[in-house]
Amino acid sequence: MNTTHPSTTLTADLRGLELSYGKQPVLKTLDWQLQSGQVVGLLGRNGAGKTTLLEAMLGLRDLQSGSVQLFGETGPMLSDAVRARIGYVPQRSDLFEGFTPDQLLAYFRSFYPRWNTAKVDGLMSRWAIPRDQPIARLSGGQQQRLSIIRALAHEPDLLVLDEPVASLDPAGRRDFLRELVDQVLDRGTTVVLSTHILSDLERVAFNVAFMRDGKIGVQAPLDELLEHTRQVTGDTAYVRALVAQHGAQVLQRRPLANDQELALVKFAPGSVLGDDVKQLQSVNLEELFMELA
Amino acid sequence: MATDFLFSINTGSTEPIYRQLIEQVRRRIASGQLSAGQEIPSVRELAQTLAVHPMTVSKAFSLLEAEGLLERRRGLSMVVAAQHTQASPNASRADLLRPTLEKAAAEARQLELPAAQVLKLFQHILNEGEKP
Repeated sequence: MNTTHPSTTLTADLRGLELSYGKQPVLKTLDWQLQSGQVVGLLGRNGAGKTTLLEAMLGLRDLQSGSVQLFGETGPMLSDAVRARIGYVPQRSDLFEGFTPDQLLAYFRSFYPRWNTAKVDGLMSRWAIPRDQPIARLSGGQQQRLSIIRALAHEPDLLVLDEPVASLDPAGRRDFLRELVDQVLDRGTTVVLSTHILSDLERVAFNVAFMRDGKIGVQAPLDELLEHTRQVTGDTAYVRALVAQHGAQVLQRRPLANDQELALVKFAPGSVLGDDVKQLQSVNLEELFMELA
Repeated sequence: MATDFLFSINTGSTEPIYRQLIEQVRRRIASGQLSAGQEIPSVRELAQTLAVHPMTVSKAFSLLEAEGLLERRRGLSMVVAAQHTQASPNASRADLLRPTLEKAAAEARQLELPAAQVLKLFQHILNEGEKP
């Protein structure tokens, strides 16, 4: 499938990205790597710059500095061959509203060397999208589904999904997640998924990346974070001693009143926590989000 | 046979999804609901049904295999390992419940509830489950 760059397993390699809107810095020497075949959930609060990051990755934003490589090719001017390997579902629908879905798909088809008509037809009927109505008259959910179909049609090796399911109901979202799982099973597609719907993310994202202060702070397999991260509340000296004793890693700390602090600590697998266990609390993805995003 | 094999997963839990899958298989084998030679769904089937990442499912299956609960067959889906011909004794089945009960006990202590009241509540919940 991917024989042109057998030596590189990185689908995306972002180094030192700097980008400001006016005086407002959004990306601050941001580094980010996506391994081939990974499904990475991108998490961050509103305004953290997730959309800007995804757009910068795709060459849709001018960077003040830094470099983006996709499939071993340096952006922002990507070759048609690399472009054809990317599927993108933007947060805001950028579909041509005067077109019908059929016209839109025919238009996009002309750009790509590969086009999976069977998949397109299958999804169009499964998701009940009227083919001959102007796109402007479709519901928000239908437009979003059409955008997803358009992004999958040319069988991309990298799928960039920016809040792809915000307008879909739970059944529609589940169906979309299954489609994503199929892509991973059948093609080993690399996926970046930005969403605030944590339950969806938890199912399909094997890895999660937390964006904060213009950087990717923590990126790790979600399983590992859930199993080895604990929330500790105690006085500063106790937390420091605990971390030192176990050679643990502090992911985040937050001062509380009376010299107390709340720390999110990642222990090494197999750490024997003994009596300290009483001070430690397991966390779920939402709690990780609250502390890390 | 494999199609009525139901798994459920809880998102929002502190327990990773692969762990939840492991525990469900473990409980079903312990109870005898699943026994030697019985097929379990393939990674592909289960990943699609549950809409979870295939690596999550294969991680669970590999660990179950390492524990001797499942066996891999070349080119076929996995089966329950040969030694699991009957349900485990009650005592060892009860052990599987221990972590959950320990968690409940910790919460009961935080709430400062008397043990008798907690036991009564658990009894009540058990009885509710038995009603048709």
